Amino acid sequence: MTDGDAALLEELRDMWMTYDPPPPGLVATMIAAVAAADLDAEWEMLTLVRDSRDEPAAQVRGLATSRILYFTAAEGWSLDAELDDGQVRGQLLDFDGDMGAVEIVVDTTDGQSWTTALDEVGFFTLGAEPTGSVRFTVRDSGRSATSRWIEL
Amino acid sequence: MSEDRRTEGQSDQSPWDMASGAFIAWRSGDAAAMDELVATMTPILWHVVRAYGHDRQTAEDVIQATWLGFVRLHRTIEDPQAVASWLITSARRGAAAHTRAARRATPVQDETLHAALPDAESAEALAMLDDEASRLWGAVATVDERCRKLLRVVAFMDRPDYQSISQDLDMPVGSIGPTRARCLAKVRTALMKGGER
Repeated sequence: MTDGDAALLEELRDMWMTYDPPPPGLVATMIAAVAAADLDAEWEMLTLVRDSRDEPAAQVRGLATSRILYFTAAEGWSLDAELDDGQVRGQLLDFDGDMGAVEIVVDTTDGQSWTTALDEVGFFTLGAEPTGSVRFTVRDSGRSATSRWIEL
Repeated sequence: MSEDRRTEGQSDQSPWDMASGAFIAWRSGDAAAMDELVATMTPILWHVVRAYGHDRQTAEDVIQATWLGFVRLHRTIEDPQAVASWLITSARRGAAAHTRAARRATPVQDETLHAALPDAESAEALAMLDDEASRLWGAVATVDERCRKLLRVVAFMDRPDYQSISQDLDMPVGSIGPTRARCLAKVRTALMKGGER
């Protein structure tokens, strides 16, 4: 683009901003609309309801090194996850959709990310050693639920 | 070199960079960052949708649908840098779909109407306009609709995504650049003629 064209385009942009600006309340209206939609999407949140770190060690199954996390979604299904010795294992429970279309994503604040599918009964296993804080996402076609960050 | 009349051009950051920064912050749990993203991109979406000749209410509806779609689908955006382009493309598709749906109704030549009958809120702005800008407005009103649409969309895109514009405007990707130059030349010619209607 020539300098002349760039300058004219710039003038045109100014002209449109002056002649046909967005209505005064438009931004506020959109912020409100997005905030409301975001609330509707809260069922998508994966809520941590149980964390083995908060329990007496005696109640922890198996090795003391493992960390057990249990999440629920407002839709009624839940995700069980166990981090132990280079593996992240778990199961999706009471899920109504197609198990075959579901992906489990594990992200960390250190920038690591692992993704895996479920087997037909909802189990998953990942060879992964997350560090930092970890976050779980359950994804099926077009929808997903993500947990908050959990410190390891 | 044209003087910069933009008041919001104070920061060095382009809206595109601000948008991706806000998007990244929002995804990592900063709820307030979403407001910043909406505030940054909504005015740009306005101009993009208005380029399709929709009236103000329809334009607002299209923009709202764009944002709601974004809330629903934001996880499908792999590259945070692409968030502005994603929103603009989505708004353009919404605007184009609305145009098709409204074909049966007679489209209002909103651009010219708006210039001829400024509403209350822009009357003040019009009064402050210098002669140059009003001549420019008159000149733009005389070029064909396709040119007007292309120029308005491109004027508000930092990194034009020619691939998707070309689909909307039904022209080959390679011809967007030359077409833009031709459309700007038409505006210049109209300016020299005085831009009278």
